[in-house]
Amino acid sequence: MELPKNTADIFEYLQKGLFISSNSTNEEIRKMYYTIEEYYELLNDYFTHINFCLEQGNEYYYFSRKEPKATLEQKINRAYWWIDILDFFKTYNESFGAGYRFSPADILVQSNMNMELQIKLDGLKKHSAGKEKRKEILDSIIDRLIKESFIENENEINNTYKVMTAWNYLEQLIESINITDETENEISQ
Amino acid sequence: MYIFNSIHEIVNTIALAKGLIEEMFEKRKLLSFRYEYALDLIDGNRLQMLLEREVIIQNGAYLELDERFMDFFELLLEANEEISTASIDENIQFIRQQMDYYLKEDNLSRKNGYLRNVKAILKKIGKITIRNVINLQRNIDNTFKNEPNYKIKIAKLENLDSKRIDIKKLIDTTDELITNKERIFFQQATDEELSYIVLELRKELLDSGHSLIRSQQDIINYLNQIKNQVQLVEKIRKVKYLRNQFELLSKSNLKDILTKEQSVILEGRTTATFKLSLNFLASDDARTAILKANSNNRDLKKRKRPEAGVIKDEYLQEAFSDEVFINLEEIKNSFLASGNQLFNFIMSYQFQREVSFEERITVFCQMVSLYENEFDIRQEFGQYQQIEYALIYSK
Repeated sequence: MELPKNTADIFEYLQKGLFISSNSTNEEIRKMYYTIEEYYELLNDYFTHINFCLEQGNEYYYFSRKEPKATLEQKINRAYWWIDILDFFKTYNESFGAGYRFSPADILVQSNMNMELQIKLDGLKKHSAGKEKRKEILDSIIDRLIKESFIENENEINNTYKVMTAWNYLEQLIESINITDETENEISQ
Repeated sequence: MYIFNSIHEIVNTIALAKGLIEEMFEKRKLLSFRYEYALDLIDGNRLQMLLEREVIIQNGAYLELDERFMDFFELLLEANEEISTASIDENIQFIRQQMDYYLKEDNLSRKNGYLRNVKAILKKIGKITIRNVINLQRNIDNTFKNEPNYKIKIAKLENLDSKRIDIKKLIDTTDELITNKERIFFQQATDEELSYIVLELRKELLDSGHSLIRSQQDIINYLNQIKNQVQLVEKIRKVKYLRNQFELLSKSNLKDILTKEQSVILEGRTTATFKLSLNFLASDDARTAILKANSNNRDLKKRKRPEAGVIKDEYLQEAFSDEVFINLEEIKNSFLASGNQLFNFIMSYQFQREVSFEERITVFCQMVSLYENEFDIRQEFGQYQQIEYALIYSK
């Protein structure tokens, strides 16, 4: 069976460590998503030969490989960044998740009224390379999330962003963390 | 309470203020329709009449449509979103009474009267049920999508679920009524219209029943989603707490998870570089690529600037030098006070430093050009060595 035409595009995109989400605002990416959905077996088999595994999540695809190049420390640091981000956005709005739309201006307004959110935003300073102002911190976080393909800029005029289905990956990662029972009790107290 | 005398009066009253009533009905949910605003739409006398007849009620500076009229309009326009099962319940009670009277009544025309009532109510029950079912579904969707507070959202959905159960019960009761319980009535009352209405009602009840099953699925689904969300938020809080306490790695299995997790995402952005194929480089096509690479290299070289040498220490030493300036203003003032002739005055003036003859001449010229107006310049000339000068005195 012949490989789909955009196989090279799919490879190029996924090997950068990005997600292909079904609800992307970019038509090219949506097209890739549907191609993978249709030819999943074929593509997965093909990529396995070059040591990449095409992983399927809840409405998203990504690559993994048997011998990853990241050290455990790097992985932990990355996971920490995601935990901070999830915590921040869930504090902003509990229903923040795949498909959610938001504008940074609204988050800033909320953070002026909500002390908890404000403190958490200030706490994200460590991820934003020396930025001091809240707006700059938020902008740099959003930039990074766009680069990691978790959100997309949907409307440049009103500056609104859409959360990709790739966000489910982060939520699933958190869900898979098991905290020991005694600690659970300790925290709830 | 004002009692209308006739339908005619009611219709006329409403017709007189139709613009205002329409506007008020549209804004019924805003609860802030000002008296002055109403005056823009209708003249004062008419508004007063409406208030007297209690079509409109005044509440301080605000006006609102009377409850009876509001219900009436909402009912006709099917614009009410409330789900009320009480009315169906009442109607069922009423219909059973009417059926009972029908069976006991001997007078034919009275019998027909009861039959007419039964038909009207059966029609009504069908309509109310369908409207309730539609409103229920809309309320469920709205609550799930728009209610921001999780606790209220769950409570609202649970209430809607109990409403759903009520509607289901009423559908069953109505169905039971027309199929089994009052069988004798339906056997006796052989009316073509009645059987048509009953048939129609059965269909409506069946559709409503199906729609309710969907509503039930939606509610269960939504409640589960919310529950998952709440659990997730809770989990994130806990994980974040441990992270802040620097205990996450020791008190959870995050290390194991990440060891197993092999997604490329965790590696961050990696760029692979490949050597170009030698065959490709030997071909003509490679020329553009080579030129491009070359121009990049040249740019890089250009950007490199030679490093500046060390600045010698002596340049960094602080040095002072004094310079004495000639203050023309001061000379002018002493000259004006002296009453001497300017040329002689400057020649003999005691400057703070050594001033040569040429410099003194320069000072003389500067003084003349600067303070011309304050001097008395005469048409007589003096001679000094080889210089001829004008005689200048103070004014």
